Amino acid sequence: MATDALRLHTAAKWQRAFERLNGAQPGIQGLLSFSEAWKVASDFLHPRDINDPGSIKTHDMQQVRAAFDLIGKAKMLSMLLENFLDDMRKQQYLVEREVRQYLEEYETTNQVDSVMQLIFRLVAWYNAWKPIAELGPTILSAYTLAFQTHIFSIFPPSFSRGFKELIASTFDLVNTSCPPPWAIPRDLPPTEQPPRPDYMLWTACETLGLLDRYESLISSVCYEHIEAHVYETCAKKWDEPMLPKLREWMTEEIVPWMIMPYARGARNAEEARTMLQGVGSRFDYHACKTLCDLRIQEIFDIIIDYPDSQSALQDLKVASSRPGLEDFGMMVNRVRGRLQECLQRVDQRSQLVVTLRKANKKRLLHPGADTKDILTQYVSIIRCLRIIDPPGVLLYKVADPIRKYLRERPDTIRCIVASLVGDGESGDSLVDENEPIQPLQQMQADDYNDPNWEPEPIDAGPDFRTNKPSDVISTLVSIYDSKDLFVKELQVLLTQRLLAVKDGNYERERRNIEILKIRFGEAALQVCEVMLRDMTDSRRIDQHVQAQKPMPLHPTIISRHFWPPLQTNSFTMPGQFREIQESYAREFHLFKPDKRLHWLSHLGTIKLDIELQDRTITAEVPPLEASIVELFSQKDTWTVDELVAELKSVEKTAILKSLTTWIDLGVLKEEAESRYKLLEIAEATPSGSKAPTRSVPVVEEPTPALTIQQQQAEQMRVYWKFIEGMLTNLGSLPLARIQTMLKFAPGYDRTIEQLAEFMEAARREGLVMVKDGMWKLCR
Amino acid sequence: MDQIMSSLAPRGGVSTKPATGGAAGESGGSVTKRLSNELMTLMMSSSPGISAFPRSDSNLFDWVGTIEGPAGTVYAGLKFKISIVFPPNYPMSPPAIKFDSPCYHPNVDINGGGICLDILQDKWSAVYSVQTILLSLQSLLGEPNNASPLNPDAAAIWDNAEQFKVQLMKHYRPIADDVTE
Repeated sequence: MATDALRLHTAAKWQRAFERLNGAQPGIQGLLSFSEAWKVASDFLHPRDINDPGSIKTHDMQQVRAAFDLIGKAKMLSMLLENFLDDMRKQQYLVEREVRQYLEEYETTNQVDSVMQLIFRLVAWYNAWKPIAELGPTILSAYTLAFQTHIFSIFPPSFSRGFKELIASTFDLVNTSCPPPWAIPRDLPPTEQPPRPDYMLWTACETLGLLDRYESLISSVCYEHIEAHVYETCAKKWDEPMLPKLREWMTEEIVPWMIMPYARGARNAEEARTMLQGVGSRFDYHACKTLCDLRIQEIFDIIIDYPDSQSALQDLKVASSRPGLEDFGMMVNRVRGRLQECLQRVDQRSQLVVTLRKANKKRLLHPGADTKDILTQYVSIIRCLRIIDPPGVLLYKVADPIRKYLRERPDTIRCIVASLVGDGESGDSLVDENEPIQPLQQMQADDYNDPNWEPEPIDAGPDFRTNKPSDVISTLVSIYDSKDLFVKELQVLLTQRLLAVKDGNYERERRNIEILKIRFGEAALQVCEVMLRDMTDSRRIDQHVQAQKPMPLHPTIISRHFWPPLQTNSFTMPGQFREIQESYAREFHLFKPDKRLHWLSHLGTIKLDIELQDRTITAEVPPLEASIVELFSQKDTWTVDELVAELKSVEKTAILKSLTTWIDLGVLKEEAESRYKLLEIAEATPSGSKAPTRSVPVVEEPTPALTIQQQQAEQMRVYWKFIEGMLTNLGSLPLARIQTMLKFAPGYDRTIEQLAEFMEAARREGLVMVKDGMWKLCR
Repeated sequence: MDQIMSSLAPRGGVSTKPATGGAAGESGGSVTKRLSNELMTLMMSSSPGISAFPRSDSNLFDWVGTIEGPAGTVYAGLKFKISIVFPPNYPMSPPAIKFDSPCYHPNVDINGGGICLDILQDKWSAVYSVQTILLSLQSLLGEPNNASPLNPDAAAIWDNAEQFKVQLMKHYRPIADDVTE
């Protein structure tokens, strides 16, 4: 029974199918005409070889349309389409062959022309095989999809490369007045001129669906183009703001280019703008970011060039701020608007910090760099980063390693102090001349009543404080925890400078002190005041003493307690010098009975006229030199050992040096080794003519005051005595015990870490040894 | 007057104790200062063979000293530890000094370490200092006062250097390194 039912069912189906094909025609008339129509249609649709002119037939479009109509009525269009696509698949080898041929050509010549021609050729194929529009969009899109799928599948890897190059070449294409021959399909009628040089190219690409498929490639080409432009035009160019120029370039070059790939369909400017907005802001962002990256890479050199590189910093500031969308709208309109301040920030700040820290570490914070240079660069960094980031978060992050490093450098304070008082010789002072002199700013606690309080920036670290000292000097001084160190170093510096003044003009120093008083406060500089007053008092006292009894000696009288320790390797002047000193001291004692002079004979200079038998020599020399020549006036020949014995407490090397001075002046002669003789009659020298009287300035710059380091070394020597004492008597001691016992040493203020370092140094010198944490003396 | 004096006397007597205590407390500052200065002087002077230092950082009145025997004597190359305890009224009274290391010497008690030296007793003067004491002790080693010996045996054989040396070395104990408290 089932078979019957099945048979019936099949029969019914057959009948239905037949009726569908046959229509209402009598007999098989309909069927015949359908098969005729099918034949016409499939023959029309058959994908042909366009290279073979014989295969191209002309069809009677009337007949073709009727045929399609009939097939459509019979609802067999889908069958027809399937059949057509099948045929297409069979003919694909034709296309594939050409693709391979063109790309081989491209690979050998590397000319984008081949790629372009290939694309035009593919368009030709596509158009040749395209079903007529009457078949409806469904069939057309099915065909397009099949065709595109197919060509994408046969593109070899070299196509992407070629295509990318082709797109890159379009940037130049936009600006040419008429398109080069390769950018136009060969079969284009010469009358038909494309509206733009690159128009044909883009339409061809769109026809083939290349724009959608290679969208990311196209935008990456544009990114690369922007990058190349930025690197080419902006690298190392810091003296003018580049960002406006860059934006201008974007408006003039990139936006016109963008219209083709991104806004072909736009009917008016308004529409174009809407279409371009998204991608445009991406490109604009990219331009900013590239510039930003470039500047960050260059930041160290930019800072070195500051203030000439100010424009670059402005760029960095603006570029690191993303423009708003309306800003881009203005660009499309070719309205060059004012660059707006940031709405959102590009996340480049951390990048900047990392790069700058790395550069500082590599190029700045190493033993080869001069402390002065480091300070100068630090100050520039302060100024530069304040331009980029006024709240100072970046500065805080970048400056930290520099400050740590500077703290470890022994001469940092001296450099800062030297620049504080405007050391004339170095030329460029750290302090800006125009910056007002103001008191040092101390760290302030947050003001909880401030109505304008703002939270700290989002990327500020936990240690960050908004109200930090803002002027450069305060920042430098705040490297150290206290300003006492500065004041001490200042005294040493002032000592050197005051003692170097010869003409009695202390105005400069007075001015400096006044400036420093504003910065450090009156109290801190009281000692300096005394020092300065000593200098003027000395002159007054000297005038008085000279009035009583004229003397060729003009001492500077200093109050020992207010001056930093001076070098103490003094010696007693021989002969007439001592007499002069003594008689001066007597006069001084009469004038100031409660005071006594203690001579520092090694400081100062003496102007001498040395009268010899045949000549007189005038020289201005340090006291030691004078003493030696004085000794030679007592006796013609001296050995070095005799001189050492005579002058006492003077080092042999110093004596030898002084002797050399006189030999150079032709006063003495080394007779034998370590034996010197006075030349009463000048010896004929190879140079022959020596002026009978000559003045040779043999004044070297002595450093009268002990530097802070020397003072510290001196202190450490005292502490060592104590350590030696305790280890001698108490046997071996742990470090902590030594530290507590050192409180017996006057003024001991070292940390246990410093002590450990010191002990370690002593161990290296073989003075002590350590075992199980117990230190003992080496015997 | 006598009455007044006598009536005052007991009160004065009673009040002496706290008064002296107070005086000691007052003078404590100056004594400490004097001792600190002496320590500083001693540390900075480089007298060979003598040295001393407070035993601990909490008490400046208790010192440990080290004396090396002077060259050219039987004591040459030997080291002796001494302890120095300063009285609260130092330098009005001399410090109490004794040898911690056994020292075979005519003027040193071999058992207790007591020393017979005039400047530590009746000849004491406030101008002396730790440094002068140590120097005197050092020279005492080479030049004993055999007239008033604390150790008669040692005094008896002093003139016989060889025999003395044997006895000396019999009693001598080299200083160990870790003799801290």
